[in-house]
Formats: sequence, C-alpha cells, structure tokens
Amino acid sequence: MPVDTKRVRGPEVSQSPSLFLCKPAKTLPPDGLRADGRQRDQVDVRPVFVRCGLVSQAKGSAYIEAGNTKLICCVYGPRETERKDETDMKCGRLTTDMRFTPFSCQERGSWIQGSHDKDLSLMLHESLQPALCLHKYPHAGIEMYDLVLSCSIRQDGTSYVVDPSYMEENSHSLVDSENQGGLTVAYLPSLNQISGLQSDGDMTEDTLTAGVRTCIEGCFKIYPVIQHALARAVRRAAPPPSES
Amino acid sequence: NTTVICGIKAELANPTVEAPGKGYIVPNVDLPPLCSSRFRPGPPGEQAQAASQFIADVIESSEVIQAEDLCIERGKLCWVLYCDLMCLDYDGNVLDACVIALLAALKNTQLPEVTVNTETCTPVVNLEKRHGLNIHKHPVGASFCVFDDSILLVDPTAEEESLLTSQLTVVTDEAARLCAVHKPGGTSLSGEKLQECISRATVRQKEIQKLIDKVIHSVKTSQ
Amino acid sequence: MTSLISDEQILLFSGSMMEVCGSSKVTLREFGCEQSLLSRPDGSASFIQGETSVLAAAYGPAEVKVSKEIYDRATLEVLIQPKVGLPSVRERSREQYVRETCEASLLLSLHPRSSLTLILQVLHDDGSLLSCFLNAACMALMDAGLPMSCLFCGVTCAIDTDGQIITDPTAAQEKESRALMTFAIDSKERRVMMSSTKGSFSVPELQQCIAVSQKASEKIFQFYRDSVRRRYSKNL
Repeated sequence: MPVDTKRVRGPEVSQSPSLFLCKPAKTLPPDGLRADGRQRDQVDVRPVFVRCGLVSQAKGSAYIEAGNTKLICCVYGPRETERKDETDMKCGRLTTDMRFTPFSCQERGSWIQGSHDKDLSLMLHESLQPALCLHKYPHAGIEMYDLVLSCSIRQDGTSYVVDPSYMEENSHSLVDSENQGGLTVAYLPSLNQISGLQSDGDMTEDTLTAGVRTCIEGCFKIYPVIQHALARAVRRAAPPPSES
Repeated sequence: NTTVICGIKAELANPTVEAPGKGYIVPNVDLPPLCSSRFRPGPPGEQAQAASQFIADVIESSEVIQAEDLCIERGKLCWVLYCDLMCLDYDGNVLDACVIALLAALKNTQLPEVTVNTETCTPVVNLEKRHGLNIHKHPVGASFCVFDDSILLVDPTAEEESLLTSQLTVVTDEAARLCAVHKPGGTSLSGEKLQECISRATVRQKEIQKLIDKVIHSVKTSQ
Repeated sequence: MTSLISDEQILLFSGSMMEVCGSSKVTLREFGCEQSLLSRPDGSASFIQGETSVLAAAYGPAEVKVSKEIYDRATLEVLIQPKVGLPSVRERSREQYVRETCEASLLLSLHPRSSLTLILQVLHDDGSLLSCFLNAACMALMDAGLPMSCLFCGVTCAIDTDGQIITDPTAAQEKESRALMTFAIDSKERRVMMSSTKGSFSVPELQQCIAVSQKASEKIFQFYRDSVRRRYSKNL
C-alpha cells in the first residue's frame, strides 16, 4: 500500500475491536419484524428528515437523515471548465463526488476514496443527469425537469425489505435461495420515468419487475417530505410579501 | 456558519518499540470540496495538512489525553484513536472549530473494556463495559485577524480571512496556560496586541468549556 | 551515517564566503552562511547553526501555472525536502510557516502573475530546524535579488524543566525541554512575524522568550549584514 504522506499517520496495522468481541453479534431474525420494528414485505420506508440550505458557502445544499444514516450534499458552480473541448462548450457538465467519512461505517474507512464511493458517485451522476437541463447552460440557475427520488430494497428469498438498514444490507440469510440481491431505483415522479437502476445479486425477471414497482412506491412515500423541505427553504430564502 | 464534524474511531494495535507504554492519537483534518468552492477534489491541500499538524501539536502540547492512558498492556496492546475531523461548511476560522469539535468528541468517547487472554494472547473485547476517556485538560483556541497591526477581529469569517494581513490562533487550557501560539507568518504584531489576544483567549476558553460541559451533560441525560 | 554528514559539512565550511559568529550572552551556536553556491537557481544559500544545516534555492520570478495564477501579485511556493524519505504533514506545516513569513516580507505585488519558488533541503537536523529554514530562506531570497520590505530571521527558544530559556537548542536539548517556541522577527521593528509553539507555558514565559528572541535577532541581523558586505567587497 502506498504511504499517504499528506495525512498524519498512525501505526501500520490496527484492528477494529469488533473483531475480538467476546459474544458474537446478534444475527437477524429471518422472519417477522425487522430489527427496528418495521414490517417486512411492505413499502415501509424509514421516516426521513430533510433540510435544505444548511451550508452557507454552497449554492445549494441538503441534509438528509433516515434512521441512523446521515448524509450531506452540496452543489457548487457553475465554474469554468478545465478542459476546453469544443464539445463541452455547448452545454454544462455535471460532476458528482460521493464519499464516506472514515468514521461512517463499522470498520474505519480510509480517507482515500474507495471503489464503493466511486461506484456510488457514478450511479448518482447517471441518475441525476437526465433531470437536469444542462443544454440550457450557460444561462442562469439550474433548471430541472423533475425531482429525482430514489429507493432501495433488499430481496431475501421470497421476502424483501424496503429501505434496508446497514445491518440488513450486509446480512445474508443462510437459506440458499435463488433470489438474493439488492436493487436501487432512481425515479422522476411527475414524469413517471426511471433515470437510474442498479441491481446486484441474483434475481429472476419477475422478482426484479416487482422490486422496481416496490421501489417506485417507496419513492412516492418520500416525495411529500422532499417537496415540503424544498418549499420551506424557498419560503425562508424569499418570504412571501403578504407576511411583511 | 463554520461547521466541523469530528468522529473518533478506536482500534487496537501494537505499540511501538520506542514507546511501549503509549497508545496512538491520529488526528486528521479534511477540507473536502463539499465545504467550500475554494477546495478541489483530490488529496488534502496545504491548508488541510497544516491544520492536521496543528491539531496534532495541540493534542501533544496540551496533554488533553495522555498517550499512556491508551495503553492496554505494556508493549503488547494499545488503543489507536483515529480522530477524523471533517469540515462541512467553511466560513472561516476552521482551526478553532476543529479544536472544539475534537474536545467535545473526546469527552463523548466511550471505550469498551479490553482484556488480554493470557493463553491465546488475543484481546477480548467486552462491549457492555465501557468507560470514558480521561480528559486532563480542556484546550480551546481563539483566532484573531489582524489588519496592519491596527485592527483586531475575533473569530474571522471566510470573507474576513481572505482580506486579512495576518492571522493568530492562541490555544489555552483551563489553568490559563498557553498550549499554542500559532501565527503562520503575515505582518508583524506588537507585544501589546499579542497580550490583548491572549487575555481574550482565556476568557473564551472559559465560555467554551462551559458550553461543552453543558452539551455533554444534555447528551448524557437524554441517553 | 555520521561520516556522510561530516563530508557535506567540510564542503560547506571550505566555501570562500564563510563567516563564523561566536557566542556571547544570548548564546547562539556558531552559525555560518554561504550565498550563491548553486549555479542553476536564481538565488541560493546554505545556513548552518551548529550542526543543523539547510540548503535553500530560490527561483523566480518565472512563468506561473494558470491554476495558481494570482492577478495582482506573485505566487510563492515553498517546498521542504527532508533529509530522508518523502515530505510529510510536518514538512507541509513548516512550509506554510515559511511561506507566509516570506509572503509578508517580499513585495509580491511588484511581480503580478508570476511564480516564485523556494526550495529548502535539510542537510542535517540537530535542533532549531524551523529557525534555520527561515534564515536560509531569507539569505536565498536576498541572493536572488527579490525586492523585500524587510528582512526576517528565525530564533528558536526552549524552556527546560527548570524554567531556563535556552536559545538555539540542539536536538537533545529540544527533546528534554518542556516547551519549544520558534519566532520570526522582522528587521524593521523587531516584532514577531511568525510564531510556532510546542508544549505548554505561561504568559510571562512567552513574553520572556519573545524578548530573548528579539535580542538574539540583533546578532543574526548583524551577521546577515557582515556576510553580505564581505561578499560584495570581494566581488568588487
């Protein structure tokens, strides 16, 4: 492994204390309720908390919390492109960068962007691109056709869990059935179009289509929350004249 | 508006041969492109690296936690505290925010009990028994902006930072001892101004320590 | 390892423009300096404080990369090369100290949209390294003929366990000390341009160290003057 000279270095090897637990961690019950009390096989997404416009330096920002998963996102730009190709000059370009903080997962991650982060960045880029009116650049504002919502499920044999928690995402039931996998769908609600889809694992065609439908249903559950948060941010940025 | 988040991860490692009774504290500051448009993606820039070094120096100078406290078994096993600081919103004076975030996070850290199995020489972790860290000192930083040795500004914003001619950070602990007088160049500063900064820093230390204690207390009661 | 270092030092001491300053009340180790010892850079200097020795090279004003261009002044870059291995975070932090000190003394607005580069190579570290960096940097910038508003020098003070202040400590003295401070003092008003500290100390101790450093800076500036005068009298 190359030595990272740009950060304060610790010891060469260190191990997470979770490897040496005296009692094995609890495994997931295969049926019945989920660990956080939600129902299996139903579109039961976790309640989300969304706030917009938290970061003062960014053009746009959002913070979202679902269960213990916390995420912050900022939009910067437009700025000058570094590559001045002719093809690039006609429309704007979207770049996405997604990373985990080192303390975000059970095992401490590295500061260096891993392949997982990069995969997610790419997925994000592809899902957002269709919703942005990049051809209108360089005009003002970032116009969008629609909001982009997303939802995931985890298929576990015949049953599935919507909006899986970290534990559910990484646990494999011992029953060796053919339908094991994860599915994430990015969706434009008012256009009724899917802009991004990622699935891994092994699923039959029927399960997959059913899964996509479930994900879309999940998206509609989040839709009002996002709309509300956006409306709130706009109202705060430009209060309606009647109030003054 | 400056926001810094600090996460502390504890891992187990072997202590070095030179210091068998000491653990490690590894602080790193990241200024990701997320926090301001001035930072570009990629490895940390000079500012982030200098901030990391500054935080490491503050930990060492102030003895906020003693490396000896992180030792589990001399020469065999010790804790590594990875203190990862990430700026979420860069609106100036990131050093003060980092020191405060670090101190609050350290106060909130609970380490599980670890014993070494004498037969197999492997560590055994008991997650149910946890204890807090022994915080010896409470260092708090106060940053100042200087414009041509005449105007002093406390806690500068990003805009003020871009205009200043020199910057000064004073870190003090509760006994009013100085842990760091950090002034990376810039225009020179007279003794009187320096004294003024130091007395302001001691006042600020008291305020911040009170605030941290209040927050930690409220976190404890809510759990 | 020791034989290699002494070789380098013999080379430096044999230079024609060597000066040596003896130590008196505010005890500084013997220091020496040689300017224009490298042919490729626009300015170069080596600075020796006791066993600690640093080689500095200054390039510029030259063309600047577009990404680093500043429209109203020159961009200064400082690179520190350790004796062995790659530069780490510690070097980066020292680079920041040296760069910001140089930026304050150089008249950068006279060379807009251009680049200045200063490279500092550690030849041997025996304590007071940061102050040696500053002194070598100042001599190299002078040698490059860059316009400056004032000169600066670096002084390191250590407070030992008895509360005694040692100026220009060796590596062993640094290790035993309770606190360590390095200041950059400007030549105009003898005020503190830069301050970097390690360890904890009280306010009176800080004031005392600054006073001692200011006294020590007189000697270093006198040494600067002597060495430059001697150099130009020989050249003419």
